[in-house]
Amino acid sequence: MNLVRAELERLSARRFVQLMVVLLVLAFAVTAATTLAGSHKPTATELNSARQQAVDARRSMETTHQECLARLQERSPTDTSEYFADCADLDPIRQDRLPIAADFLPGVFSFAEQAESLLHFLIAFLVMFGFLVGASYIGADLNSGGVVNLLLWRPRRLTVLAAKLGTLLGSVLVLSLLASVAYLATFWMIGQSAGLPGRLDDGFWRSLGAVHGRGLVLVLLASAVGFAIATLGRHTSAALGAVAAYAVVWELGGRLVLEIIDVRRSDQLMLSSYIGAWLSGESRFFDPRLCAGTSGTGYCSGLYSLTWGPALLVLVAVTGGLTAAAFAVFRRRDLI
Amino acid sequence: MSAVIEIEGLRKTFHSLRSGRRVAVDGFDLLVEAGQVHGFLGPNGSGKTTTLRALLGLVRADSGRMTVLGEPSPELLPRVAGQVGAIVESPQFFGNFTGHRTLRLLARAGGVPVSRVDEVLDLVGLYDRGDERVKGYSLGMKQRLAVASALLKDPRLLILDEPANGLDPAGIREMRDLTRSLAANGVTVLVSSHILGEIQLICDHVTIISRGRRVATGRVDEVLAGHDRHEFLVRVAEPERAVELLHAAELTAVVDGAALVVSGVDDPTVVSRVLGEQGLWVGELTPLRPDLESVFLELTGAYEHSSVPRQVGDSSLPQGEAVIDLDRGVDA
Repeated sequence: MNLVRAELERLSARRFVQLMVVLLVLAFAVTAATTLAGSHKPTATELNSARQQAVDARRSMETTHQECLARLQERSPTDTSEYFADCADLDPIRQDRLPIAADFLPGVFSFAEQAESLLHFLIAFLVMFGFLVGASYIGADLNSGGVVNLLLWRPRRLTVLAAKLGTLLGSVLVLSLLASVAYLATFWMIGQSAGLPGRLDDGFWRSLGAVHGRGLVLVLLASAVGFAIATLGRHTSAALGAVAAYAVVWELGGRLVLEIIDVRRSDQLMLSSYIGAWLSGESRFFDPRLCAGTSGTGYCSGLYSLTWGPALLVLVAVTGGLTAAAFAVFRRRDLI
Repeated sequence: MSAVIEIEGLRKTFHSLRSGRRVAVDGFDLLVEAGQVHGFLGPNGSGKTTTLRALLGLVRADSGRMTVLGEPSPELLPRVAGQVGAIVESPQFFGNFTGHRTLRLLARAGGVPVSRVDEVLDLVGLYDRGDERVKGYSLGMKQRLAVASALLKDPRLLILDEPANGLDPAGIREMRDLTRSLAANGVTVLVSSHILGEIQLICDHVTIISRGRRVATGRVDEVLAGHDRHEFLVRVAEPERAVELLHAAELTAVVDGAALVVSGVDDPTVVSRVLGEQGLWVGELTPLRPDLESVFLELTGAYEHSSVPRQVGDSSLPQGEAVIDLDRGVDA
């Protein structure tokens, strides 16, 4: 406990951490200020007009769907053209969302409509924050001799490293919780006072809560990965370099090579796909190679999906592997 | 006396892609007993710091046995870590913290009462500057802070690697007084230093390492006595004639500037008698006692190529690699 308290004090006193918190507050303030400046409370006329436009849009969708069904019934049995393949795609009931009044209110901020994308922005920032702080926290300490100092006091390497990682994850979690609550509360108030709160029912809060929870897990995983790679490489820059190298070599170069050699479901081999799937709950990918053997035998969408369960498994396995490797290496490493 | 530090057959090899395999410590032995102020000497790159790091569990030894306060190190070092204060090379501290805060954090991490912080700051002369940020400290002040951190635990064993680094003459003297005072209070001190005169003043025992191997160990006065050639500096009016007379009396003598040096003299009155009988009156007869520096240079071979810049690790073992252990005799 003493060790964790001491580490907490060290972490909070780091200039880099303080700078990142200032950047977070700054980004938060700029986003809130521009949203506030670009939004206004809609008048009754604007609201009525928007509601009517939404009703019209929904009606138009229904009409298009009905026309499709009618064409499908009228076509000849030998016509297998793709145009008639599946009217279900046009069915309004099967859409993710239907047009609502807020869609037709330009210059009006709707909390219910935009909360999720705002939360995604915050999570992206916190992921970067966790990764960089995690990497610099141990990287700078290894490089400057801080870890050696500490080990002269507490010659238990795994305890010291675990205390550092635990302190990091705990601090990042608390900061992320506080930041996201303050962030969402601010935009909720903007929606109430200078926009529209939107439809804030149980479903909305459940969905937002799920995104938030998954985002926080991603932030913690990113922090642990930054910490682990910097521990393995002894430097903060090792973590930055490893991620940059992975992005360029594998996500860009590897993806090109996989496409050239016609590897099926190549997106499944990219970590970014799993990150997306975890955050959104499910990611769908298009791969025409999946339809290679089905030509003429029926409809093939060429789509496949990754769901949050396997995505979490992969992300935890990668993070766990890196963290275990970092502890194993640190346990035996010469600290010179 | 009980052994506070015991090292037997310590061996450590570093491997790197660029420079390959380098043996840093090669079968090194060290014995520090309770109450000693033990000097640990060696040229740059001779393995001093590697030895201390291995002892403190910071580097993994290839082989050898080490104990600290009776506990095998590094396996059971945590059991006695609370009684061991150590600084290894120049410790780096967090620049944005004040000296006081730095020590308070260490005290907290080590379970030491925070009230001890002011005591040790006072001991090392930093009490008035304890509220300044470490990045504003001079090298000497950082060194004092490092020593303060080692003293926080009120240790039974103090390991100081180059504690005089960056200290001004007054600081070196204060460090000497502090070390003596700690030793007087029963603290065992192992101190490595390049300032040989300082080691000679502070330490009662010394171990010299060269190329990763022990080349001498024992009480400082005994190590010095082991290298005493019984030489005397003699000043006379006619040095060349004096040399001839001394040679005739079967004494070894050489002219050294305006004087001469006579070796192998057990009784200096023989020199004045031989010369006086021939009318050469001795103006000065001074014994040339070896100091730690001359013994160190002789044992480590650091003086051998004075015309060529000496490279780090260019030290040597004594002829035949004999190891002088004045407590145990000579190992060939």
